[in-house]
Amino acid sequence: MTTDPLTDYSSDAETSFEELGSSEAGRTHGLGPWHLAWRRLRRNRTALAFGLLFLALIAVALLAPVYADHVANTTQNRQRIADTLNIGGKEVQVVSFDGVPTGPTWHSQYFIGADGNGRDVMVRLLYGARNSLFIGIFATLLTTFLAVVFGTLAGYFRGVTDAVVSRALDVLWAFPVLLLGVALGVALATGGLHIGPISIENNSLWIPTLIIGVVNTVYLARPVRGQVLSLREREFVEAARAQGAGALRIMFSELAPNLITTVLVFFPILLANAVLLEAALSFLGAGVQPPNPSWGTMISDGLRFIVSAPLLTIAPGLMLVLTVLSLNIFGEGVRDAVDPRARVRLEH
Amino acid sequence: MQVFSRRLFGLLSVLIAAVAIAACGGGNDNSNDSGDSGGGSAESTPAGRDGGEATFAYASFPDYLDPALSYTVAGWQALADTNLPLLTYKRVKGEEGAKLIPALAEAMPEVSSDGTTYTLTLRDGLKYSDGSPVKANDFEHTIKRVINLESGGSSFFTGNIVGAEEYEKAGKAKGDISGITADDATRKITIKIKQPSGQFPFILAMDFAGLVPGDTPFSNETKSPPPGVGPFKITSVATGRSFVMEKNANYPEIEGLPAAHLDKITINAVTQDSRAITDVLQNKADYYDEPPSSDALREFRAQAPERYRGEVTNSTYYYFLNTRVKPFDNPQVRQAVNFAIDKRALQRLFGGLLTPSCNFLPPGMQGYQKIDPCPYGDPKAAPDVAKAKQMIQQAGVAGQSVTVYGNDEELTRNVTEYLASVLTEIGLKPQLRIVNGDVYFQTIGNQDTKAAAGFANWFQDYPHPYNFMFLIDGKSIQDTNNQNFGNVDDPKINSMLAAANKKDISEAAPDYAAVDKQLVTNGDIVPYGNRVLPFIMSNRMDFQSALFHPVLQAVYSTFALKG
Repeated sequence: MTTDPLTDYSSDAETSFEELGSSEAGRTHGLGPWHLAWRRLRRNRTALAFGLLFLALIAVALLAPVYADHVANTTQNRQRIADTLNIGGKEVQVVSFDGVPTGPTWHSQYFIGADGNGRDVMVRLLYGARNSLFIGIFATLLTTFLAVVFGTLAGYFRGVTDAVVSRALDVLWAFPVLLLGVALGVALATGGLHIGPISIENNSLWIPTLIIGVVNTVYLARPVRGQVLSLREREFVEAARAQGAGALRIMFSELAPNLITTVLVFFPILLANAVLLEAALSFLGAGVQPPNPSWGTMISDGLRFIVSAPLLTIAPGLMLVLTVLSLNIFGEGVRDAVDPRARVRLEH
Repeated sequence: MQVFSRRLFGLLSVLIAAVAIAACGGGNDNSNDSGDSGGGSAESTPAGRDGGEATFAYASFPDYLDPALSYTVAGWQALADTNLPLLTYKRVKGEEGAKLIPALAEAMPEVSSDGTTYTLTLRDGLKYSDGSPVKANDFEHTIKRVINLESGGSSFFTGNIVGAEEYEKAGKAKGDISGITADDATRKITIKIKQPSGQFPFILAMDFAGLVPGDTPFSNETKSPPPGVGPFKITSVATGRSFVMEKNANYPEIEGLPAAHLDKITINAVTQDSRAITDVLQNKADYYDEPPSSDALREFRAQAPERYRGEVTNSTYYYFLNTRVKPFDNPQVRQAVNFAIDKRALQRLFGGLLTPSCNFLPPGMQGYQKIDPCPYGDPKAAPDVAKAKQMIQQAGVAGQSVTVYGNDEELTRNVTEYLASVLTEIGLKPQLRIVNGDVYFQTIGNQDTKAAAGFANWFQDYPHPYNFMFLIDGKSIQDTNNQNFGNVDDPKINSMLAAANKKDISEAAPDYAAVDKQLVTNGDIVPYGNRVLPFIMSNRMDFQSALFHPVLQAVYSTFALKG
């Protein structure tokens, strides 16, 4: 039987009555919202399956060095352009005289072929997954941190603070995200970032992480601000204030726990968005810098060989689709489980 | 275009070098063959018929269609056939094609004994494509336009001709260049230059000096290109999209400069390389000027090999190693890199469109002598990486960090990544910096950047070896816009160049060859090859007679439909 988690609450209602019945027999035992959310998520098999797929992608990415060292016997950047392979007793040029890389060998070396620089595409695909997911996850954590801090400050203090934060977010909102990302990426790709004691090299993964983390902040900061504006008028906040709690304590102890649902609903979607943005920036040369692999740079490199070696473009594209699809479907499942009435989407 | 940007920023260095060169230039017979990797005749031997129309595709619309302003290959290829200068190159392949011949001048210039006065006489009875007579005074107007319009080529003239710099400073379009005098009656043109310069005749043969009428406005005339003397005239322009060249009925037959075969050529700028190549394959277009290495080109070669040939250009692709930055201040480390670079791999990276070489001078250049044996092994054989690793260990620089620069243009990034991988393999720790192509050469040409190693290339402006050698001359080194990226400043090379520059090119060619050998032996740079340009045509065209010139590249006056 298929159920629509957005509309089907019968199971939850049934459970509640059972619990009520048992409370009549003994003690009162209610289910917490997290328990209910987990129960709803468990019943959404599709979302769970895609969640597991995402975990599998992370596992595969973590195993990249193992594959490179023990299976392919190469590194992510080793170039064997003029070398010849012996595959099943047959001599194969890694890159032909006219520059076309070899296709899949279906053997340990060059399993799905070589790129134009004679590098093992499978190895770079796995390292690309590490880089893309590293940037996606840490950028989303940064987005969450910035959004919660600034959204809470704006919503709680209102007035001048709100005006400043909101206008800053408006300015950020006004820029097309990709253009802003490209502008920042190109600027930082040459010299890196050097602010006081903070120094990040130009080819560090932290550069695209910071860029994406900052430009995505607006997507979460606005909902957080809206929720804090509403929460600060609630009785429990009034009560804390009456007991003499300061602003910081109210924000951390009373408001922050109530923002977790919002953050949880947004996180997978923001993560998918970050992975996509990283790929787009890298495709345009403003994200992950060579020689580090990324799915975006691999797609860009592969375009030269779209006819003669289509797998160079298809393989990283497929990985990107799987990652974003898994995160989006799992994210929808989380949203349906945590807040079935919510409508969440990232506006561009 | 990268070539374009290199040219712009190379001007200053060229001029600094030019003033030091004594005696006038001329041809010499010292160079080897042009290295044509494909078919084509050794001399233009038209077998096609006269008349008919053709459609060409350009990778991009030329920067300008005004000889005073254009500074790209696309513009020069068209204007070389519409606005001839006083001197030019014989329209033939090989070393003969790099020799200067008189075009609108009756003969080669008479040079005074002190080498500072050039006297030329205009051919009699010349007419522009609009029918108006060509006058000797038009030459001064032509040069004034180049300077007044602040053309990329202005410094070639302000740096050499007496009074040209003053004319530029005065800022008056109708002012006078004191070093140029002309007499319309006798058709004599006299040019005084500041110092003897072996390169000045080559400057007179540049497209910037293509004659235009004396009443041509001091403005960009791309929309309505000024008339000239040449096999073709430009009859209509849709800026940014297309232009039309038609046979010039007023063109007199000049020895070595054939009249046009085609009646009309329509040239369209295209946005997609693959489409343009396919159009030529399917005979929807007759010629494409810059087909890059791509799947579409490979398909073309497979389906129509008789209509494809690779033309080796007078260019050098190399890696610079900054002799002022550690660890490349150590000659042993520079030599180690030379031992480790696999030129066969680089040839593959360019899709086969690169001829591996050990020399810095390209094969088509006067003064080229193949360095054989190459001190780092045969360029077409595997490198000696083990020896390179050993040298790095001996030098005590293993694990040392180096910045490696490249730009984001197609292939350049891959070539730079290859250098980084080789440096890693021999024990160094490269930090790759990929810079936007528009600012790349300014970036690495700034001493503050301290670029340790990186990509570089050079296409000739004119066929004189110093047009390459200034790139490694110690006196070319500048704080900004430096073209000597590796800061090569070897006293021996500097003195050899100074001595060669004082001689006539015919005598100096072996000296430049010696400099080439010394440079390569030192390992100051890592030259790895000369670029090959694919030449493709439709089945309608007479492929064999179409000339790819060693200086001018495609010469449209030799293009003809099949008979």
